Amino acid sequence: MSRTDCEGFHRRDFLRIGTSAGLMGLSLPELLRLEAAAASKAPANKSRKANSVIMVWLSGGPATIDMWDLKPEAPEGIRGEFKPAATNVPGISISQHMPKMAKHADKITIVRSLHHTIPAHGPATTFMTTGNKPIPSIQYPAMGSLCSKLLETPTGVPAYVSFSDLRGGTAGASGFLGTAHNPFIVEGNAAANAKTAAAANLRVRGIQLPTGFTLDQLSNRDQLLQEFDSTFRKLDRSDDLMDGNDAFHKQALEILRSDKTKQAFDLTKEKKETREGYGLDGFGQGALAARRLVEAGVRFVTISLGGWDTHQKTFESHANKLQPTLDRTLSMLISDLAERGMLENTIVYCAGEFGRTPKVNKNVGRDHWARSMSAVLAGGGFKAGHVHGSTDAQGMAPAKDPVRPDDISASIFQNLGIDPKLEIPSGNGRPITLFREGAVIDSIIA
Amino acid sequence: MYGRPAFVATFIFALSAGSLVAADAPTVDFERQIMGLLGKTGCASGSCHGSFQGKGNLRLSLFGYEPERDFQAIARESQGRRVDLQRPDTSLLLLKATGQVEHGGGKRFDRNSWQYQMFRDWISQGATWEKGSGTLTQLRVSPAEIAFRKPGESVGVTVVGTFANGRSDDLTPLCDMRVNDDAVAQIASARVQAVRSGDTTLVVSYRGQVVPVHVLVPAILPTGTVFPKKLPEANFIDTHVFAKLKRLNMPPAPRSDDYEFLRRVTIDTIGTLPTPDEIRAFVADRRADKRARKIEELLAHPMHAAVWATKFSDITGNNTDAMENPQATKSRRSQMWHDWLRKRLASNMPYDQMIHDILCATSRDGRTGEEYIDAIKVIDEKLMKGFVPEYADKKTLDLFWRRQTPVGIEVWGEKAAAAFLGIRLECAQCHKHPFDRWTQVDYRAFANTFSQVVTGVGPDIKKAADAINTERKGTSPNNNNVILVREVYLGRPVVNARRGLAGTLPHPDTGAPLNPQALGGPELKPEAGKDLREALFAWMRDKSNPFFAKSLVNRIWGHYLGAGIVDPVDDFSLANAPSNPALLDALAAEFLKSNFDFRHMERLVLNSNTYQLSSKSNSANRLDERNNSHAMIRPMMAEVVVDVLSAATGVPEKFGNDAPPDSRAIEVGSSRLNGTVSFAMRIFGRPPRTTACDCERSMEPALPQKLFLMADPGLQSKIMDPNNRLKALLKTQDNDSKALEELFLATVSRLPTESETKAFSVYRSKASDRRTAFVDTMWALVNTTEFIFNH
Repeated sequence: MSRTDCEGFHRRDFLRIGTSAGLMGLSLPELLRLEAAAASKAPANKSRKANSVIMVWLSGGPATIDMWDLKPEAPEGIRGEFKPAATNVPGISISQHMPKMAKHADKITIVRSLHHTIPAHGPATTFMTTGNKPIPSIQYPAMGSLCSKLLETPTGVPAYVSFSDLRGGTAGASGFLGTAHNPFIVEGNAAANAKTAAAANLRVRGIQLPTGFTLDQLSNRDQLLQEFDSTFRKLDRSDDLMDGNDAFHKQALEILRSDKTKQAFDLTKEKKETREGYGLDGFGQGALAARRLVEAGVRFVTISLGGWDTHQKTFESHANKLQPTLDRTLSMLISDLAERGMLENTIVYCAGEFGRTPKVNKNVGRDHWARSMSAVLAGGGFKAGHVHGSTDAQGMAPAKDPVRPDDISASIFQNLGIDPKLEIPSGNGRPITLFREGAVIDSIIA
Repeated sequence: MYGRPAFVATFIFALSAGSLVAADAPTVDFERQIMGLLGKTGCASGSCHGSFQGKGNLRLSLFGYEPERDFQAIARESQGRRVDLQRPDTSLLLLKATGQVEHGGGKRFDRNSWQYQMFRDWISQGATWEKGSGTLTQLRVSPAEIAFRKPGESVGVTVVGTFANGRSDDLTPLCDMRVNDDAVAQIASARVQAVRSGDTTLVVSYRGQVVPVHVLVPAILPTGTVFPKKLPEANFIDTHVFAKLKRLNMPPAPRSDDYEFLRRVTIDTIGTLPTPDEIRAFVADRRADKRARKIEELLAHPMHAAVWATKFSDITGNNTDAMENPQATKSRRSQMWHDWLRKRLASNMPYDQMIHDILCATSRDGRTGEEYIDAIKVIDEKLMKGFVPEYADKKTLDLFWRRQTPVGIEVWGEKAAAAFLGIRLECAQCHKHPFDRWTQVDYRAFANTFSQVVTGVGPDIKKAADAINTERKGTSPNNNNVILVREVYLGRPVVNARRGLAGTLPHPDTGAPLNPQALGGPELKPEAGKDLREALFAWMRDKSNPFFAKSLVNRIWGHYLGAGIVDPVDDFSLANAPSNPALLDALAAEFLKSNFDFRHMERLVLNSNTYQLSSKSNSANRLDERNNSHAMIRPMMAEVVVDVLSAATGVPEKFGNDAPPDSRAIEVGSSRLNGTVSFAMRIFGRPPRTTACDCERSMEPALPQKLFLMADPGLQSKIMDPNNRLKALLKTQDNDSKALEELFLATVSRLPTESETKAFSVYRSKASDRRTAFVDTMWALVNTTEFIFNH
């Protein structure tokens, strides 16, 4: 098993770390020290400003030209049907269909000069969620998986939770970090009954007992299990595999017995107005649950809103459904975090895989366009009431201060106190820089 | 002087034998010493100045491989501030390395160290470079093999380099030395110390040259026990394995009992558990050759080829997401790929021929353009509606080369190297492989072998294909929803004097054309009408090829024994020596002699006494993980986990539209699955098959797996299912002990022990009802270590 990688780091050492970090009490500083010792790199970044990230994923690729970066002066056929509306920050305007966000613009950074080169859903999603341009020879881990590996998480709480499998599980996954760092997927319908606002039935698959399976039952069954296991175990078969297996067994029981996650999903603990403020649909209640999960110590939560792939009737969809839904939930999430004093150490990152063509097509839609797009960041060490960069007159490409998805990822990790240039080994031992091409965008950091 | 007594002596000796000796300080040579020192002190490592972008404006060649670049960087760039000939101590190089001025890499050595003195002497002597002075002809490590007698012993290692100019230098202090398994032996200051019994490799490297040294530490047997005089050998495998164990003084485990053997061989060969009836019949069988018979039966089982088709789907990169549109056809194409492999594996087609038909695949298989168009019309129509099992009859696997988004030829180079030669080449894309011989030139020249392969439409059928494509596009508003006529074909070899063969990568340094070349083999000459891949294949299958046959026998070994002789199985390299070279050679020779008979090799392995050893270890061999002294306890493939859980509970898994009805997980081609089963597959490490690396399949236990077995709703519903195994069992069997026996056989493939039976009856007496007691027992059995590992 053991061998050395390009850097002379023993693969075996990483296996030990890989199966123990965050699971067997090895803390991030210890992990970093081990990695630093091997790679003789500068000490880890001390600029930790945030503990957690909530990623609000707009699946399909939102027409941000109609949301965050309107072009009223552009010719017809480009400028679209929406009017810009002033916000509570002088000089910043956003779409007329997001009046609630307009009241909270003083809490966000709008990045208007984001761009990349991949106008296809799959690889673009990978680029945005991993912070690395996809290449055939490496499967980059999602940012949430990196957080799972590199940040400490309280006992009984998963590090990385996702409210949906991004692209059937092909995105948002752990890549070369191995199965231990895949997201825990939330199951059940978050949508609440509109009349009663009754509890949504949510659970994270794999860390909670299913309905009807009690803790008592678990204890009983586990006793029986110990009896049956001892026959095999008492033979002298000691090795790493078996020892690891035992440790995982204990931790699994701890997690199943902990009710921190379960409590986080008990949305009935929230005031009715709060629940309604988020919106009683799955997306809104998911965002509320995301906030509660972060309170419980989860490091990275992905919530997702679909329907943004508006090849047809884009303005109708945006005006009637997409923007009002996002406006309601995103503004509530940000203001709720702020009111609770959580925004300063929680990053909210709202984006999709790409933008859409400035030119409106014959079906009154906009098609895939990666060369210009906007994203929104809030909290966790990012500037408030700030706009970064701009696009040209027709919104075709960045005009000022262009940034790429990996620059944003690098900035997020810097704020999480993780050196964006940290090297971790890929599955075959090759040292991989977290965000090789990404540079921290200093001007958006508060 | 250089502060290390032992070193100083040899250093001076070497110099006095060689060039002019200055009275006060020995002449320091840039290539031989300074380059070595840059590597040894970590300056030229990949995370520091050896990285692609360099660090802090200084870029050195990784591991000190390119003297010219490094001399420029150190002695010429930065306005010459890095070396100060007048005042050597103020050279930026020394100020930085000793931490006297801000240095991102921190302090590398002290001012009073020998390293400092060596750098300083080189600078004060004029900081010169004699081109070629460090061209190495031989790197000799002594001892060449380290065989300790017992733990605790230690031995010094010396390294002597012979250079093209005739010099011989002691390079010991300039070498990087590490031991692959530091649990067996450790190295400090060029001394290897035996820690515990076992064997491993000491890897010595100097400026990118690597020498592996085998280190062996025999076990100490308890008083009164000796290594057995005679061990029964079933075939040559046992001869080699037992010979190695004798050197290690590790007596092998006893032979497995029938229960243990049957469970292991069934999981390994057909990916599921033996049924209770099969177990009883096998145990009752009194024939002396019953194990050989069972092995024959299992090797002929339809699921046997499915297991290997799944493994070869990983190896060849059957990645559903990368398949051609439309979306709905992607998983069907993956199934076609799996079916194609399975058919050949089932019929035991000679391995070389199967690989030929993958590596040299075309869409037409020699048919005319017209015939191809006619055939594709039928196939595509079927493909739009459902699975196309007929694809398995096609001569070659053109799907291997077909992708919705084309990839560069270097990807094919990496894939072919890993899949068919067991070599991980990707390091050499950017720099010389740090622990193997491969250079960027090797990498590119090998990739160039694939420059002729084109995916598109051949010129002769362009018109016909365009017509069909236009017609098909007319039937759907979305172009992604129609199958477009495409093919894998051979481009004409157009050679341009300046750029070389069209589509090839140039020389990484000079930009000159680079001819296609087999990996570490001959140049391959492009000719009109000839497929370069055929020439490559001819080189691969040749008796003298050092990788092709070994790679496959090593994969077979890795599959059945839990770890390859070279492990990971796709990582043949200088630094990753085989655990038993004689065995690997003998297996490869046998494979060649048998004319690439895959089944023959499996039969030899499975019938060996080595394979049939128990997993019970003894005090001498309990920590052994690479010499097969006892059967290795190992995780199962994700697909097998799913099938084994279905078998144990008696509730089959459903794959919806992703696979033909009633498929078992091991028969599924698609790497992308919907529904709850995708969750289990992910947790147990099924690979998405996006990269050319066996490391993609995660075979390490992880916390989510435990949580899955304990609490996953999908699995719990199988355990609770009113129609599962327990329904029939409890109905037909009134006797609790008998029912318990049956449940043990169905899960852990053995009978319960007395204490287990007792534990159950205590549990049963407290449980609310009989069924609950058995449901809980099934849960407990499925959660045992014994159940979830193969052993």
